[in-house]
Amino acid sequence: MKRLLISAALLSCALVAFQLILMQVFSIVQWYHFAYMVIAVALLGFGVSGTVLALGRSWFLDRASLLLPLLMMLCGLLLTIALPIVQLAPVRFDAYLLFVEGKHVVRLMLTYLVLFLPFLLGALAIGLLFLRYPEAAGKCYAANLLGSGVGGVAGLWMLWLVPAQQATAVVGLLAGGAGILLLSRNEKALWGVGGIGVLITLFFFFSPPTLLPSEYKALSRTLTLPHATVVAERTSPFGLVQVVSSPLLRYAPGLSLAYKGVVPSYDVVFNNGDWFGPIARWRKSDTTSIEDFTTLALPYVIDDRHRVLVLQARTGWFATHALSRGASHVTIVEPHGEVLDLLMHECAALSDSLLLHPAVRVHPLDPRTYLRTDTARFDLILLPLLDAFGGTGGIYALQEQYLLTKEAFEEMWHRLTPGGTISITSYMDQPIRHPLRALTTIAAMLDDAGIVNPKEHLVAIRSWGTVTFVVKKTPLTREEVERVQTFCERMGFDPLLLPTGTPLERNKHNVLYDRSFFGLVDGILTARRKAIIEQYEFRIAPTTDERPYFSQFLRWKSVPHLREMFGGPSLPFLELGSFLIALTLVQIAALALLLVVVPLVRMRVTGVSKGRVFFYFAALGFGYMFIEMLAIQRFVLYLGEPLFAAATVISAMLVFSGIGSAVSTRIVARPAVLRRVTIGVAVLVLVSTVVIHLLMQHTFTLSSPLKFLLACGMIAPCAFVMGIPFPLGMRSFAALHPHAPAWGWGINGCASVIAAPLATLLALEAGFSWVMAAAAAMYVVASAAVKE
Amino acid sequence: MRTLTLAAILLWMMANPPYDRQREEMVRTQIAARGVSHAATLRAMRTVPRHLFVPPAWTDAAYNDHPLPIGYGQTISQPYIVAYMTELVKPQRGQRVLEIGTGSGYQAAVLAEIVDTVYTIEIITELAQQASQRLAALGYKNIVVRNADGYYGWAEKGPFDAIVVTAAAEHIPPPLVAQLKDGGVMVIPVGTPFLVQMLTLVEKRGEAYTTRSLIPVRFVPLTRGK
Repeated sequence: MKRLLISAALLSCALVAFQLILMQVFSIVQWYHFAYMVIAVALLGFGVSGTVLALGRSWFLDRASLLLPLLMMLCGLLLTIALPIVQLAPVRFDAYLLFVEGKHVVRLMLTYLVLFLPFLLGALAIGLLFLRYPEAAGKCYAANLLGSGVGGVAGLWMLWLVPAQQATAVVGLLAGGAGILLLSRNEKALWGVGGIGVLITLFFFFSPPTLLPSEYKALSRTLTLPHATVVAERTSPFGLVQVVSSPLLRYAPGLSLAYKGVVPSYDVVFNNGDWFGPIARWRKSDTTSIEDFTTLALPYVIDDRHRVLVLQARTGWFATHALSRGASHVTIVEPHGEVLDLLMHECAALSDSLLLHPAVRVHPLDPRTYLRTDTARFDLILLPLLDAFGGTGGIYALQEQYLLTKEAFEEMWHRLTPGGTISITSYMDQPIRHPLRALTTIAAMLDDAGIVNPKEHLVAIRSWGTVTFVVKKTPLTREEVERVQTFCERMGFDPLLLPTGTPLERNKHNVLYDRSFFGLVDGILTARRKAIIEQYEFRIAPTTDERPYFSQFLRWKSVPHLREMFGGPSLPFLELGSFLIALTLVQIAALALLLVVVPLVRMRVTGVSKGRVFFYFAALGFGYMFIEMLAIQRFVLYLGEPLFAAATVISAMLVFSGIGSAVSTRIVARPAVLRRVTIGVAVLVLVSTVVIHLLMQHTFTLSSPLKFLLACGMIAPCAFVMGIPFPLGMRSFAALHPHAPAWGWGINGCASVIAAPLATLLALEAGFSWVMAAAAAMYVVASAAVKE
Repeated sequence: MRTLTLAAILLWMMANPPYDRQREEMVRTQIAARGVSHAATLRAMRTVPRHLFVPPAWTDAAYNDHPLPIGYGQTISQPYIVAYMTELVKPQRGQRVLEIGTGSGYQAAVLAEIVDTVYTIEIITELAQQASQRLAALGYKNIVVRNADGYYGWAEKGPFDAIVVTAAAEHIPPPLVAQLKDGGVMVIPVGTPFLVQMLTLVEKRGEAYTTRSLIPVRFVPLTRGK
């Protein structure tokens, strides 16, 4: 039994690590959304395994000793060769061409299939364990969860050590090794299979497939330029960082047409093939900067700024501008430690050692963590450029952006010197969304700060491509406003917002087709704000820590109206992220229904209510996943590092749930106990949410290692209890009908997969509190499904 | 003899699918129906054989209502975008037009049907060579292709009545602005070819410039009209 449990843990570890590696791979070669879609389908293998086991129960049980190692070894082999296969020309799809070429849709389906198979085989092996040893369900589930928990950390660790395409061979070896561990000496044929598997895995480790990114990714297009070369490269769980040098890469967002010079070229950093930022250079002799000819210069036009804070600074581009404008202290805060390290060491010469400049301080931290833990005050706080040139089609809708919430602006407000300013610039998207949401969020912050007349504190100007808002702690003076007007006239910019009473000619140099923008901007600063937010066809309400999705603009109820205005086929391209998550949910739900629920419902079962088994295990799947997703989103803000926060939460939850499962073997599996446990989980979820929130508030300023430890401690009680109902239910229902465990395994797997996109949609639409309430409700449903 | 002639015609038709009909259909349903009314532009769109500007694998899709890949991460724009951009610069006889981003050469060919000379610059060597050969083979003598960085424009051949930028950057290159004639216009699509694009028009009046952000477009103008 011990060997079986070790094998189950190893296999589970490999499957979770493989998911993380796949995320990395798809982020490099396509958009990360497609990773989400593909992995969701792949994970459906867990659900389908339940169906297969339920339908072929006796066949599997009769051959369990042969099938267990075989399934694990085949799973290992498929984990190794899946990536090379999906990179082959006939299978490789291109996300961009999905919109114009049907064969890429077929290829996407093939990719689904190839990645689905290893999960199916792995899940069959684990499910067979439950079937073969129902009395040890607690131990098996514990091994499964503990292994998965370790897999989360192991996956990240592997990505530090080897490139993603090589890491797949390592997880293949882990899964294959799990199978080999179960072989006895006389099973020669299986030893042969294992040996071949190991050889193939070693081959792909030493000769990994080359990742072939879409030719439409920013990096691919850049590398087609003459003399463009990758001069530095680093891989880590943060992504594949590449520095490209080319005399043809220039950067000056929304540059004034009054600029007569030549824009210099820069080396550029790409992360996972996406544009990350140009490498800024600064020499002491630089007293002018190209940004002086963009709307980014607005805060310096208002007044001199000596102490400047650049949040989410990326490559530190804004720092050069601050230095050229005479700033004596520039603080850079950027969470991507790898990029900072690269720019401070290996590539320091490319930026003329900007980040090592005596006036520059670098903090490799999440901006919100910095704002809450440091006490310095600044004359100017600069936020990163919103959106992207030409728009992003809403592909960042699913990203939590805690730096752009009302609470974040409040924290910035308190870090300003008396005459200090916050500056935020956005590209002008069409239809206009980003600038409007920036304004509503700033306005909400000013309301909370007790500012009666926000127009006295706000100024905004517009070029042909960008709009910059500056909010000042004290009211703007007449001289400051005059300087802004002169600057606009000189640069050919148009003022968008000036304090009350100032004459305003807004559509002179850069004429907007859609003039309703001006009315919306004015209205947001009056009592009409609420009505405007409610009536606008896109979601532009202020973002909060409760719903930190700044780039999520789609309102489902507006879809018919938007269809009418923009035409049906164009609609997804305005808000791609939201549509993709909905599409993921629909495809998963449809496949789950087709492959898992229907076959199981059609099975003849006596002695146990199919409905009760279904609701019990489905509710547990939904509840567990909702809480996991919620915890990840909550702890991202607390721990600061999205990637490590996610890994910590997932691993801690799985490990403590694993311990809970192990302990569950000592609990008698009676219906009354099941009901008490599930209700207990629901209550604990609600109580924990409040307690964890309070604990976070009071421990935010602690050091990172301490916070990571505390996070594990906060997660432990809930996760421990959440590990009990599944194995307990397995035992309880198995006593009523032998098919129940396989069925429960399948239903639970399905529900977990559907729950992930569902939780995201719920958080987007209603906020985190509703996800938490839904999670608690699921455990109440599970309790109700148990019959005395 | 009549049988032979008929057979020859049939063979020719089999070898040359009825692209004229497809082209006419494209102009009628994708371009004119969406509001492009500039007569010279419509005529040019009816004339230029778009199917000869796409890779062979895409020939049958050449007249479809979307952009197509031409390799090197580049695309040939959707027919409507080409027509709309052409109409925006109001091309006419006697003009000199500069195009930045030759790609397949299709936009240059459309312009060349109307104006006197089209100067076009492509940064990717392979694309520049292919376009140059293609345009020469099609008999376009009033198009000059150059393999260079379009950022600097083509000062020796300027100033231009119009500049069409098909490969946009996040800033409008100052050298291009300088090469516009007084009263000249420049059109720039902003955005991703497969997603939503926004067209921006730059007009030069003396030393002053005005930019106009036009409607966002994808397959149709994304107007907020209703």
